[in-house]
Amino acid sequence: MTRIRVLFGLAGLSMAVGLWMALTAPPDNLQGEYSRLINIHVPSLWLAFLAFGVTAFGSVMWLIRKRPRWDRLAASSVEVGVLFTGIGLITGMIWGQAVWGTPWDWGDPRLASTAVMFFVYLGYMALRAAIDDPISRARRSAILGVVAVVQVPLVYFSVNLFRTIHQTQSVRPDGSTMPNEMLVAMLVNVFAFTVLYVALMAARIDLAIAEEAAHGEEALAGGAVKPPKITGIRDV
Amino acid sequence: MAHRGFILFGLGGVIALVIAITVTGISNNLTYYLYPTEAVDQKADFPDGERFRLAGLVVEGSLTETGDALNFDVTDGGATVAVVLTNTPPPLFDENAPVLVEGAWDDGIFRADSAIIRHDENYSVPEDGNYEGADD
Repeated sequence: MTRIRVLFGLAGLSMAVGLWMALTAPPDNLQGEYSRLINIHVPSLWLAFLAFGVTAFGSVMWLIRKRPRWDRLAASSVEVGVLFTGIGLITGMIWGQAVWGTPWDWGDPRLASTAVMFFVYLGYMALRAAIDDPISRARRSAILGVVAVVQVPLVYFSVNLFRTIHQTQSVRPDGSTMPNEMLVAMLVNVFAFTVLYVALMAARIDLAIAEEAAHGEEALAGGAVKPPKITGIRDV
Repeated sequence: MAHRGFILFGLGGVIALVIAITVTGISNNLTYYLYPTEAVDQKADFPDGERFRLAGLVVEGSLTETGDALNFDVTDGGATVAVVLTNTPPPLFDENAPVLVEGAWDDGIFRADSAIIRHDENYSVPEDGNYEGADD
């Protein structure tokens, strides 16, 4: 447990630094204060790409090694990734309404492909919840985890491949299109969200192991990694 | 085993199909919007009333109001198109702003009923601490 507390402590610390930098960075000449949203929007989607990449990795490793740790890694990573894709979409919509004048456009390739990615990984979670046999569940979600990761480069490069409303990258190999104060703030937040990802993964995997122990799961695959069921008045 | 394999294959196929449809749908609409030079070049392909989207910069000094509509010119450095916007513009709309308007040709001018700001990837710090949009 201490390891997880340390991780969350580090995450909290770096997020606090990131927040402070986001609030003290200069506003943008055209967008004003709304440019600060980039410090949540970009790190959230970075985290989602990282998470879905880890899922693909865990999926491949499970298919090769058939050890439960890889299955657990893949499934836990999807949960975190879906959450932060959602946060990225919502912060994007808030920003879009303020700066573009519209929160969404289905015709825009970046927006549409991100939404599809969100729903595909929601489908991953539904798939896991629907299959009782651990090995079958692990195998099917592993295949999905590998196939679905192709969306990550598709979403990322959509702004370069097609004509979009969403702007192209502000950070490229040959430099950035942001003033240094804004860029540093954003990168600090990317780092902070990465630490948060590690902390959330550690906690989620621990929880999955505890769930498996309670249910006596088979030793070749992980548990379902379902969102918690709320039991209340009626026991469904 | 065979049953499982089929389901896996089917699932993978569905995902591939979704992605293929998305990519095809997007690439068919590759001319998602036209810049003024292209719009003028392709004027024959878009008869009056056929909707498309036009993107460019609002020409400084071209913005006027007549009744309920806004009149302005949109340029990409090459051609310039006269636009009449019959709806409310977005909050950050102004001269020199990058806009994306939707509408159709109407006898040489572009009659638009919606406009959004098409913000690019560039950011800049206000030089004197004040910034555009502060008073909006």
